[in-house]
Amino acid sequence: MTVVLLTKATRVATLLSGRKRAKWPSSSFLRRLLRNRSATFGGAVLIAAALAAVFAGAIFDADPLDMVGRPYTWPFTDRLHPLGTDMLGRDILVGLVYAARVSLAIGFAAAALSTILGVSLGVLAGYFGGWTDGLISRLTEVFQTMPPLILAVVVVTVLSPSVGSIACGIGIASWPQIARIVRAETLRLRDSEFVQAAVSVGEGHLRIVAGHILPNALPQIVVTGSILVASAILTEAALAFLGLGDPNEISWGSMIGAGREAMRTAWYMTALPGLAITAVVLSLNLLADGLNDVLNPRAGNV
Amino acid sequence: MSKPPPVAGTSRALRYLGLRCLQAVPTVIAIAVLNFFFLRLAPGDLVDTMAGEAGAATPEYMAMLRQLYGLDQPVWTQFLHYLSRLAHLDLGYSFRNSTTVLDLILSRLPNTALLMLSSLAVALVGGVALGTIGARWRGRWPDALISAISTVGFATPLFWIGLMLIVLFSVHLRWLPAGGMTDVEAGRTGLPYLLDVARHLVLPVFSLAVFYVAIYARMTRSAVLEVRDLDFVRTARAKGLAPRKVMARHVLRNALLPIVTMTGLQFGTLLSGSVVIETVFAWPGMGRLAFDAVFQRDLNLLLGVLLFSSCLVVVSNLCTDLLYSVLDPRIEVR
Amino acid sequence: MHRPFVWLPTRRSLLAAGTAGLAAAGLSRGAHAGDVAKPGGTLVVVLDPEPAGLVAGISISAPAVAVSSNIFDGLVVLDETFTPRPQLAESWETSQDGLSITFRLRKDVSWHDGKPFTSADVQYSLIEVTKKTHPRGNAVFANLTAVETPDPHTAVFRFSRPSPVVWAALEGTETQILPRHLYEGTNPIANPWTAKPVGTGAFVFKEWIRGDRIVLERNPNYWDKGCPLLDRIVFRTIRDAGSRTATLEAGEAQYGAMNPVSLADTERLRGSADLTVETRGFEGSAPMYFFDFNMRRKPFDDIRVRQAFAHALDRTALARTIWYGLAEPATGPIPSYQKAFYNPDTPQYAFDPKKAEALLDEAGLKRGPGGVRLRIDHVPCAYGDDYIRAAEFYRQALKRIGVELRVRTFDLPTYLRVIFTDYDFDTHSAWYSAYPDPQIGVQRRYWSQAIKKGTPSSNASQVADPDLDQVIEAIQVAGDPAERHALIRRFQSVAQEKLPSINLLELKFFRVYAKNLDGISFAPFGGYQSFKTVSTSV
Repeated sequence: MTVVLLTKATRVATLLSGRKRAKWPSSSFLRRLLRNRSATFGGAVLIAAALAAVFAGAIFDADPLDMVGRPYTWPFTDRLHPLGTDMLGRDILVGLVYAARVSLAIGFAAAALSTILGVSLGVLAGYFGGWTDGLISRLTEVFQTMPPLILAVVVVTVLSPSVGSIACGIGIASWPQIARIVRAETLRLRDSEFVQAAVSVGEGHLRIVAGHILPNALPQIVVTGSILVASAILTEAALAFLGLGDPNEISWGSMIGAGREAMRTAWYMTALPGLAITAVVLSLNLLADGLNDVLNPRAGNV
Repeated sequence: MSKPPPVAGTSRALRYLGLRCLQAVPTVIAIAVLNFFFLRLAPGDLVDTMAGEAGAATPEYMAMLRQLYGLDQPVWTQFLHYLSRLAHLDLGYSFRNSTTVLDLILSRLPNTALLMLSSLAVALVGGVALGTIGARWRGRWPDALISAISTVGFATPLFWIGLMLIVLFSVHLRWLPAGGMTDVEAGRTGLPYLLDVARHLVLPVFSLAVFYVAIYARMTRSAVLEVRDLDFVRTARAKGLAPRKVMARHVLRNALLPIVTMTGLQFGTLLSGSVVIETVFAWPGMGRLAFDAVFQRDLNLLLGVLLFSSCLVVVSNLCTDLLYSVLDPRIEVR
Repeated sequence: MHRPFVWLPTRRSLLAAGTAGLAAAGLSRGAHAGDVAKPGGTLVVVLDPEPAGLVAGISISAPAVAVSSNIFDGLVVLDETFTPRPQLAESWETSQDGLSITFRLRKDVSWHDGKPFTSADVQYSLIEVTKKTHPRGNAVFANLTAVETPDPHTAVFRFSRPSPVVWAALEGTETQILPRHLYEGTNPIANPWTAKPVGTGAFVFKEWIRGDRIVLERNPNYWDKGCPLLDRIVFRTIRDAGSRTATLEAGEAQYGAMNPVSLADTERLRGSADLTVETRGFEGSAPMYFFDFNMRRKPFDDIRVRQAFAHALDRTALARTIWYGLAEPATGPIPSYQKAFYNPDTPQYAFDPKKAEALLDEAGLKRGPGGVRLRIDHVPCAYGDDYIRAAEFYRQALKRIGVELRVRTFDLPTYLRVIFTDYDFDTHSAWYSAYPDPQIGVQRRYWSQAIKKGTPSSNASQVADPDLDQVIEAIQVAGDPAERHALIRRFQSVAQEKLPSINLLELKFFRVYAKNLDGISFAPFGGYQSFKTVSTSV
């Protein structure tokens, strides 16, 4: 969740430097993105993980929770289980592939939830101002002052642990940051000439928001959103470590959670899903950097 | 963050301060209301927990406990009681810990503050240094190395780093303690006590700092690159100032602004980062206190901790704003 | 633990006597035979979770007992054969009709604040504390009508009916004697002394830094001369199992009470040169692990379905894979090591998936699309990850006979509500303490009167069977031990035959401690008892 702050602070730097942000780019966008090394790398890893998640069933026609081998088989010692087995004899490679599903699903669902919440509230507050802004800003503040991880823990506890409740908990805990960013962006855009022009020709609120404000705020939202996904995956792992996981699904976090008990005996059970998380989170951050470079070309040399 | 005030004199600053504190009152009340009712949605109560921990209990015993804890009252009555107690600045009693909530918080707060402030300090110093180096050698191998390391540090789960450090430094090398805040040899005071705490602080601080160093390094690097090409820096350089002086006096000083914002915001998340690290290193802090309170349904305690941390965030936001306007004269003219 | 040696003039000879006493009392003699016990020093114990209070007589929980048994004594203590031995009571006699027990108390005992210990303390503790504010005291001591105090060192318990069951609860680990002068006129639960206790025990409370440590110091005036040997005990609260293992392995703590490390780690620690994994000392709490059916839900009202499940679960494999051998397959509701009560001759259900499938077919549950005959849920108890892994084991085992199991996990308070208030489950697995007497720990699983909404560890399967009720109620009123034992044996057969719950495993709880510790107690409640005889050998 802290990750979001990074974009915000970078943005502060940008604003201070008094430069303008570029508008949502045109067709050359993809070409420029592909030319950006970190974005390409991040994107490639992410796509690979996503493919593994989608085609998990086709790659390994097995239930990842099945106990198929001798427990505590170390990686690279058994041809049948190349990455070894866990304490119950479940294949770790199969687990990692299937877990990509749940981890990515939780990551994207949580990010989507917080983005939807954050963008709608942020736009409302920034666009209408006045008491709407006051109310929403207070609400944002209330949520922001609560420690996000504890908030997520409470939500998951109230709803009892499942993939849905975990995504929900993380999403609810992380919307305030994106709301603040979008509110500030909306405030800035509302006073811009093109929005003023739209107002003067009598366009409706919805059209102005959907047609002028959102498209211009989109680069910021996309960059922040991709970092939110990364942070949600990390939070899921932390929740699983603290014992809040869905017992019927396998995720990288739950693999670490299960493996940590045997960490002293068989550290590979913790290390492998840990590496998977690091790889995906890393790729998401790189992608965000790349997007930031391409979408906000002068903003950051990050 | 609301707009920083144009600070011209002490009186204006004070007035601003008063205004902000006034604004915070409804926020704090909203937090109390939200917490009180939201937490009550979780099934089970403190008496269930205590009976569960006892292994067995009679219904009469549980009824007696509920009466003693006031849990047999209607929710609204409980809420009014809670509010009236809050109005008297009384956070209540934690039956699960057999002491007052305020005592618990005050005993844990310094520990968490020590942990977080130390990691922030380490991260700040390390991050700013690394970021400056990165910017200085932009595009060359030190830059690449630093950004690679910081990006990986940023993407690795905190608890995982902590556990791995324990395995290496406490169990195998036996250089540093595996957990806790002091050795059990009682009666240490003065310097030996401080050294003992410092020894216990190393691993948790390092684990937390790895994460924050990454943030600060990245921020410093981009901020330095940003400021470097600005007019006033060019002017300074044109005046013939030595590059090191330009860096220290003009570039870094200005690059610090976003970092101050960041630090202020992070201070607010004091509790969150510490839950996991406090769990791994058995550090007796507030994060773990709050976490356990959730699972024990110790609502008095949880409400107390959340309220307290909310107030802390409100105050730290305020301080950041003030500091910001002091640090950056341009804010006034904008 | 009663120490039979007499006072001797020099410290050295005293220690020699102490070592001899160890053997007599069934205590460990340490790994380094021939070494001399070294008095003094600090013992660091890792503990989890932090107790709610430090008087187990009031807020009883495993960690509260482990701490407070050092501060408080009971009237008696059970030896390895479950026979009561003197502690605060020097001797006792039961009347012919079984309606009264007269305890003669030690005269040389004082509270840590210097006040003398008298029969008034016993009276107050039993009547005002145990019967009123102890979670289960009210049930165990239901027939205790009064405690009379003819003189300061005699306490007479009066019963309305013979109650042999109370002997299982008079230990200091269950019923502690509290100082009347500090508690009288207050609600014991809200009494501030519960957080800074004053007892008669071998160690004196020093400080409690919440979330970090509890410190106890040697009681120099302890009545059992020569004890305690340690100067100080520090209980450290460490929440993460991995960190507890690391702390023990790094030598920063020398003793871990009650399953201090994960089961996965025990296997490696058993090969450790410095640490011992000890499973004795929990025969008194006797954790029995079982698989409940919700008897009020279909199809579990059909005995064939329950039998099929019993045949489908391989208890030997369960003990090996999930518990790493720290469990034995159970043959009934009472553990085999409680020899006085155990009945080896009860109906058994061998692992036989084919038979299980045949029984399900017979019950009309044929395999449908995808080979599934039945979709049900399962709630494992919220006492740790091991039980969740066991649930994953059941899912796997039952899948083989066409039963699809969905596991639902909760935190402790939610779990208790789901199982014991809402009864919202198809199947449930948990462990209960059998305690030294089945009347306390076992009947609550099978008696219809133990279906108590909202009460943890009661009759969750909601079995209400006249045959079970009849034998259970007969046990409660039986005064003659021989008759009572015969009834308890019959009860085990009925329980196995009716099968409202599959008795899976006798769990072996364990302690982990440094090999150079001497004087560890292996008595039935040894896992929770005082460290007064513990020392480090040189």
